Amino acid sequence: MSTSPLVEADADRSDPRTARRVAILGNPNAGKSTLFNALTGQRQKVSNYAGVTVEKKTGQCTLPSGRRIEIVDLPGSYSLRPASPDEVIVRDVLLGLQPDTPPPDLILLVADATQLDRHLYLALQAIEIGRPVLLAVTMMDAAETRGLQLDLAALQQALGVPVVGLAATRNRGLDALRDLMDRDIEPSQLRFHRWPPFVERVVTSLEPRIPRHPLLPERGRHDLAMALLLDDGEDPVLARAVPSEVLDDLRILRRRLDDQAPGWRSGEVEGLYAAVDAAVAAAQVTKGMTRDPTRERLDRILIHRIWGPVVFVLFMGAVFQSVFAWSVPLMDAIDWLVGQLASAVEGVMPAGPLRSLVVDGIIAGVGTTITFVPQIAILSLFLSVMEDTGYMARAAFIMDRVMSKVGLSGRAFIPLMSSFACAIPGIMATRTIDNRRDRLTTIMVAPFMSCSARLPVYALLIGAFVPHRWVGFVTLAGLTLFAMYFLGIAAAIVVAWALKRTVLKGGKPLYVMELPPYRMPAWGSVLMTVRDRSLLFLQKAGTIILAASVVLWFLASYPSSGPEATATRARLDAARDAGQVTRVAELEHQLAGTRLRESFAGRAGRLLEPVIAPLGFDWRIGIGLITSLAAREVMVSTMATVFNLGDAQDDVVSLRQTLRTAVTGNGARAYTPLVGVSLMVFFALACQCFSTVAVVRRETNSWRWPLLMLLLMNTLAWLASFVVFQGGRLLGLG
Amino acid sequence: MTGSTGDRSGPGANPAERPLDRLAPGDSGIIVRLSGDPATARRLMELGLVPGSEVQVVRRAPLGDPIEYRIRDVHLSLRRVEAANVHVAPR
Repeated sequence: MSTSPLVEADADRSDPRTARRVAILGNPNAGKSTLFNALTGQRQKVSNYAGVTVEKKTGQCTLPSGRRIEIVDLPGSYSLRPASPDEVIVRDVLLGLQPDTPPPDLILLVADATQLDRHLYLALQAIEIGRPVLLAVTMMDAAETRGLQLDLAALQQALGVPVVGLAATRNRGLDALRDLMDRDIEPSQLRFHRWPPFVERVVTSLEPRIPRHPLLPERGRHDLAMALLLDDGEDPVLARAVPSEVLDDLRILRRRLDDQAPGWRSGEVEGLYAAVDAAVAAAQVTKGMTRDPTRERLDRILIHRIWGPVVFVLFMGAVFQSVFAWSVPLMDAIDWLVGQLASAVEGVMPAGPLRSLVVDGIIAGVGTTITFVPQIAILSLFLSVMEDTGYMARAAFIMDRVMSKVGLSGRAFIPLMSSFACAIPGIMATRTIDNRRDRLTTIMVAPFMSCSARLPVYALLIGAFVPHRWVGFVTLAGLTLFAMYFLGIAAAIVVAWALKRTVLKGGKPLYVMELPPYRMPAWGSVLMTVRDRSLLFLQKAGTIILAASVVLWFLASYPSSGPEATATRARLDAARDAGQVTRVAELEHQLAGTRLRESFAGRAGRLLEPVIAPLGFDWRIGIGLITSLAAREVMVSTMATVFNLGDAQDDVVSLRQTLRTAVTGNGARAYTPLVGVSLMVFFALACQCFSTVAVVRRETNSWRWPLLMLLLMNTLAWLASFVVFQGGRLLGLG
Repeated sequence: MTGSTGDRSGPGANPAERPLDRLAPGDSGIIVRLSGDPATARRLMELGLVPGSEVQVVRRAPLGDPIEYRIRDVHLSLRRVEAANVHVAPR
């Protein structure tokens, strides 16, 4: 081996075709993102890897020579033998199995100077693949403060790859790193682990059977063979990389190895860690203080037996309050702006179907989409600060016991909690859950949390049907509202439990979690995350929401000239000519009601009646159920329109009165208090919000989960309302 | 099943050997072997719980589970059921 693995490059550096691809790889919390931001600045973009919802961050950087490189910031990983969707992506990119991301020409491996004992494990795995590796040791300043001295030249010698020390906070070492990236780096000639001969023989026999791949170096083929042997046949990407008969043989070989040498899988880990220990021993001049006073001081409070939960509850209260309440002025402002835009368009365009499409379909749909953004932005701000500071792991540590009861991890708590404000930011927040099955379970139960859009509906129905009475020190109204929230939580627990035992069964999830050192958040990258999350939502879910909004507008507006509507319009014209002002207003409300009743949505409401009659709902509620697909609170204005009150949302009192006194065709009372309760139960459990469906589609990357969600939640809602209504009638409450 | 690792004398050979979840906060020990599902054991080792490494119990979560451990300068939280598969020789 040559002492320096560096060779001067003589390739044409200005040729964009030779633009070098660099992948940043490292443990979570190794300082990867900080380095990525320092190298690329604002020249980065966020997307998703094809077919999965793992975030792909790419950026550009110009080296001293003028050569431009493309940098991809790979998701934080502990190992190249993957245990989470993030790690699968990393493995696939490095082995050339990820279609939208060619393998890197250089792996920039990031390791924390104070945690080399563990971080070098991934470094050795990366070196073993046979690609050029450059090791960046971050947090050199933190190490020095603690009296930890490292001999980086010795580390370079021990690993066979160039090493550079960084203190990203003061940009120390960045120039040296850029210089190194400008040179051609050879793969390390060293091997750190040899499998026992019987395993090596199996792997060698496999190698020729793996199809040749232009992007995979020879040692990479060896590693792919090893990955195939270690995989338990669950990985679809690996399975596609080789013919099926090889997979069958692998199963036999694996079983034979398990019988003959039960510990064979772990040999590699022990071998690599022995090499890690040797490298650290060579590099460490003084060990210094191994304690971390900041961690000790903060943890003494933040995960204290009593203070930990107290702080957590207060903090969650603040998060909940801000997502729930602080977003209101922003959402109102957006509403106002959308309203201004709508009236501006109304002033410019002549009245007619086209204006109605633009104002009530498109602008309203865009408005719906944008009003979610404040909540998404506020929640991602909190989440990203929690992740960056290290508090997220502490929160999960505190809540893990509670969530484990329903088969989830502590990380599921915050997304579920946020879903009380709105399921959409909540579902987007499930990205912090690394186990795929746990994440899907959390997504599937998040919409059961009673969101803020259900509140106006509960308020209307409770006001109309729940008598004002004190029960102890609370009112019956308050108790009913609490019961609705409780019902949602109970349903979520039951469904999570059931999903984990049926469709989302399997795997042996590990709940091991790192409690990282506390760090100050990097505000620049926090704000970038907030921006990227909001934009991704607008682009991906926004299009579906907009399309659905236009479809709903059409259903509720056409056909617009049924027999009754034509008659009402004639009477309205007559009243206008006669100058009867109050009569005109009354007839306008009546016309809106008639048009809705005669529209496709109105007809659908009647068609729906046989299905919902057993729940106590008539066709008018049916119309409300259809229009509330746009957003649950639309139910209130729809009911007002149906009952000829206009869509005056501020006139809730008369709407309550109207609901209480509404009659059916034969003069009987249409809505009893029992119907009110049945309808609230339905709203608590049903999946009516297509924005949620759109975001689930986006976050799971398939229609399977949103469709299952629709089926599951609506069946459950129907059954529960059926039991409430029919049971209530049997008890004589109807 | 006991897919043991780094232990040539078999389980129970060391009378002082104890599962990690039985250690009290403040205690420490040297990892002797890992038992249980081989893939899970492998993953725990990749996270630093390799035989021969020292592990220290830092604290229990407020509700008693999981437990925070310090290993190879890294702090890990393990559920009791997971820690039960890590066998240590107490010091």
